[in-house]
Parts: sequence; C-alpha cells; structure tokens
Amino acid sequence: MSEQAHGHHHPAPPSAIERRVAALEALLTERGLVPDGFIEDVTRRYESEIGPMNGAKVVARAWTDPEYKKRLLADGAASIAELGFGGAEGSHMVVVENTDAVHNVVVCTLCSCYPWPVLGLPPAWYKDPPYRARMVREPRKLLAEMGCDLPAQTEIQVWDSSAEVRYLVLPQRPAGTHGMTEAELAGLVSRDSMIGVARL
Amino acid sequence: MSEPPGVEESLSLSGLDLPRRNGELVFEAPWQSTVFALAAAVVDQEFGGDREPFRRELIKAIAVEPDRPYWESWTAALESLVQTLPAPR
Repeated sequence: MSEQAHGHHHPAPPSAIERRVAALEALLTERGLVPDGFIEDVTRRYESEIGPMNGAKVVARAWTDPEYKKRLLADGAASIAELGFGGAEGSHMVVVENTDAVHNVVVCTLCSCYPWPVLGLPPAWYKDPPYRARMVREPRKLLAEMGCDLPAQTEIQVWDSSAEVRYLVLPQRPAGTHGMTEAELAGLVSRDSMIGVARL
Repeated sequence: MSEPPGVEESLSLSGLDLPRRNGELVFEAPWQSTVFALAAAVVDQEFGGDREPFRRELIKAIAVEPDRPYWESWTAALESLVQTLPAPR
C-alpha cells in the first residue's frame, strides 16, 4: 500500500485523484496530523477488526439473553459498549427490532452515516444515490430487488441516519436455531440483515 | 437536484448483487484508505472528534455531484474542510 503511495513498483503515473490525495497527505503531514504508520494502522483496523462481525455478536447476545436485549433496545450505545464496541460514529446508536409485523431498514439519504463500530464502513451500494433515494421512495420494491421479499402485511419502517443517530437493525432469530450457542448464532448474522436489506 | 438518468439501471449494475455476504473489500485502492484515514486524523485532531463539520462538507460534495464516485466526493469534502483550518501553529 505505501509502495504505491511512494511510487515504487507503480508503472502508471498517478491519476488526478491520487495526486489530490497525495497533496492532502503532504499538507496534513506538515501540520503534524499524520504520524508514521497512522494510515496503515487505520486501514488495517477497518479491514480486519472493525466490521459486521461486531454487530453479529451484539445480535447473538440479544437473541440469547433477554435482559441484554431489553437494555439494547432501551440504550443501544451503552449496551453495545458493554461488549467492547464503541468510538467514532457509535455514540448515539439506536437498535430497532424486526418482528413479524415490522421490518426495519436503514438508509442515509444525505451522505453515508452508518454505525461503524458494529458494521465497519458502509458497502458501496449504501453510498450510491439510487439506494439513498429509492429506499425512502419505494422501499418494498427496492428490498424485493435486493432479494428481500416481505409479506404484504409486514410494515416497512425506514430509518434515515443522521449525525445524531445511527441505527442498527436487530434481525429476527431464524427458526430451528434453538440448540445453537451464541457464537454459532453470531455466525448466522449477515451485515445486510443488520442494515435491514436481508432477512435471515 | 434532479435525479440522474438511468438511475435504476445503475442500481442493478453498481453491486447490489454482490454484497449479500460479509467480507466485501472496504477500500478498492490505496488512495481511498489514505483519504479515509486523513479525514479521521483531521476530525480527531482539529475538531476534537466532532464529525459534524466534515459531514456537512461531505453532504455538500455529494449534493453538488451526486454521481461522482463516493471516495472522490470524500476527497473534495476533505479539501474544503482543510481550507477552513487556521494556519499551522
């Protein structure tokens, strides 16, 4: 990664956007904001430690511990912090529960707000204009296109993320999982189910 | 802001059929992770962790060019934000 940034083994000349980012990096380094290894560190954390596996643990705990689930729905950020997840973008987290009657789905209509500590960075489609516009306008149709067909009687609740509030969907526990451990259950929970564009 | 043409087509082409599982690549190129980390550094160290000023710039950058690739809008937002910083001490 730093090989490209520093021009080794990089046959193509840097693109315009690469030059702009390099200029920003130089400027901010000069201000003392970019210690050695900082960029590699942040990248590694987001590529390996911070991601949907964290949210999956929260969901599995809620499925197996009714008291935890109560706390989670009452105070998302604090209950998620109990499991050790928090920090940037996670201070105002609200957990919304799917039921037979209500299916929740999360969007950020203005940009890309997303609960980083439990889901990592948003997938590309979450940031695309079509998703941001259509999930508000025609959620049932868009969900069906994404492979999430909902019964006609299930109400769809769309949550628009903001600077103040990030949402995490608590999916329904799949049938036939009664004997499973918390860790096994966590393995069933997909990122998309916690955004609300999939059911388990 | 009018909706770009062909928006529905682009939806199906822009990866909706890909991310049905976990483990999607977070960054597609080194400059993307670099500019992500740079924004984190500015937010933390120049704004005391307050993301709102950056978020306002990002919303503006996306609104100006809704079809611009996401990390390019992110870059434009950071460029705007950096211009508001006081001269280094």
